[in-house]
Amino acid sequence: MLPHRSKLSVAVFLLPPVLLYGAAVLLPIVQSLVLSFFSWDGITDMQFVGLSNYRHMLAGDSTFWTTFFNQLGYLAVCLTLQLGGGLAAASLLASLTRGREVLKVLYLLPAVISTLAIAFLFQRIYSMEPVGLLNGLLGAVGLDGLERPWLSDTDTALAAVSAPEGWRFVGLYTVILYAALLAVPREIEEAARLDGANQWQIFTRIRFPYIRPVWITTTIMATTYALRGFDIPYLLTNGGPGQASELITTYMYKTAFTSTDFGYASAMSVFIVIECLVAVSLILLVLRRKAV
Amino acid sequence: MSTQTFTRTPIAPAKEDRPPAPPAARRRPNIHRVLSRVIVLAIAVVQVYPLVWLFLTSVRDEQDFASGNPFGLPTSFTLDNYARAFGQGDLGTYILNSLIVTAGADVLIVVCGMMGAYAIEVLGFRFSNAVRALFLIGIIVPVQIALVPLFIDYTRVDLLDTYPSMIIPLAGFSLPMALYLFSSFFAYIPRETYEAASLDGAGPYRIFARITLPMSVNTVVTVVMVNSIFIWNDFIFANTFVLSEDLKTIPLGLQNYIGAMGKTDWTATFAAVCVTVTPLLLVFLVLNKAMIYGLESGANKG
Repeated sequence: MLPHRSKLSVAVFLLPPVLLYGAAVLLPIVQSLVLSFFSWDGITDMQFVGLSNYRHMLAGDSTFWTTFFNQLGYLAVCLTLQLGGGLAAASLLASLTRGREVLKVLYLLPAVISTLAIAFLFQRIYSMEPVGLLNGLLGAVGLDGLERPWLSDTDTALAAVSAPEGWRFVGLYTVILYAALLAVPREIEEAARLDGANQWQIFTRIRFPYIRPVWITTTIMATTYALRGFDIPYLLTNGGPGQASELITTYMYKTAFTSTDFGYASAMSVFIVIECLVAVSLILLVLRRKAV
Repeated sequence: MSTQTFTRTPIAPAKEDRPPAPPAARRRPNIHRVLSRVIVLAIAVVQVYPLVWLFLTSVRDEQDFASGNPFGLPTSFTLDNYARAFGQGDLGTYILNSLIVTAGADVLIVVCGMMGAYAIEVLGFRFSNAVRALFLIGIIVPVQIALVPLFIDYTRVDLLDTYPSMIIPLAGFSLPMALYLFSSFFAYIPRETYEAASLDGAGPYRIFARITLPMSVNTVVTVVMVNSIFIWNDFIFANTFVLSEDLKTIPLGLQNYIGAMGKTDWTATFAAVCVTVTPLLLVFLVLNKAMIYGLESGANKG
């Protein structure tokens, strides 16, 4: 603490950030909570309905549960690509002797591109007519049987809208995990190697435990980002065909701004926040306990 | 929020590259090394090729595009797509709007982030830990929670369809991470510096202006770089709060290219995408060190 600080100076410095954060984040959270107990279309009078929005969401609306499980599928694809791919890429990068800085930049490039550009890009990549990148590639390696219109096939639509989101942040997690791997002391690895440990043992016994705190952070980041994922599914398929790629986030958005059912949409947005908090607690519970 | 994962991190000097592998490993180029190099390059191709393809498509003529063959070099070269891209939509306006929103939000984030971090980290006060925790929770709050309330609030105060309607939530949701990065950095400035200035009679405002601010230039670059990417590419807030054509940012404007005439002019659309992607791409290629450094120090402890 500074000796010459005054209460006034603390207030002066604290006021602008608190105002901004309060207006943009805290107040809307409270408002959503309140709205979720009402039924309102934005025009007529608000009507207090108690828990009926939540009851409808959890017990009466089968679409909600479809979108919930779709969101979990989306999460699974994103986590596999981002954390699995990121960790593998980071480990491989750390074993290189040259070109690592250039590769890091190349890996990060998709993270710089807007989701709209990515949606356009993948619409063409998945396309059947004219033959897009993916179908062309399958044809070229003799897997013609797998060729399909990826986005309009109900079996593949969800995976097809999830993969671009996973793809675009692989570099982000690679860079973070790579920095963590570099901090592992080489002496310990060398000592283990001299004792006859193989590459896999070095990874599971030394490297991974060492980067566990960073791994927890990246898992939390990737999970919460995937649970709020919206742009790419919304732009690529708008939830379709049917509800094959509808996520809670896109369903909530449509409920709010197409059906203008503000109360029910707020209940869903509260659910998304709770989902994130539960996910973070679970991650901390599981990954921390193993650390002890 | 976890105290373990988001504990304060003194931002250490940039990490040096690892020393080259020991000679023993270098002498025999075994299968593992070859294989790992191949995989590393394959990942690079997967990450970069779609973007290369984007640029290649933007210079193909329509026949070449329609005839398929998504691979290989274009058999034609034309800048006509770019002419049509500028003719179909108001690309200049979209780019200008994106610049205004990004600059406005960046200024708010940097000013508020620095002031908040200074109050919490340097000045200190009774409930500073609680306030810090309150801000940190914002890192995991999904933006969807703010859409409906802000839409209603904006209608009431007549802010719907304005620049601030995008700038306020973009800045608000980026503030926690910025504040976290600034506090990490401020914790790294030695206390003696402040104490010496205090002994010379400098008050909190003067210390902020003369010591903290000038020392933070690098952190400002990092914070601006990391946030600009998210703000420049924002789709959800702009899509929700902006209706009029002359306020559209790039992600909204690009949507006009789809199916405007019943049929999408893909090569012109790709040309438009290239035009809008290039500014940020160039900035990233020049300043990627600052960004990568911010990402690493944000998630790694020291």
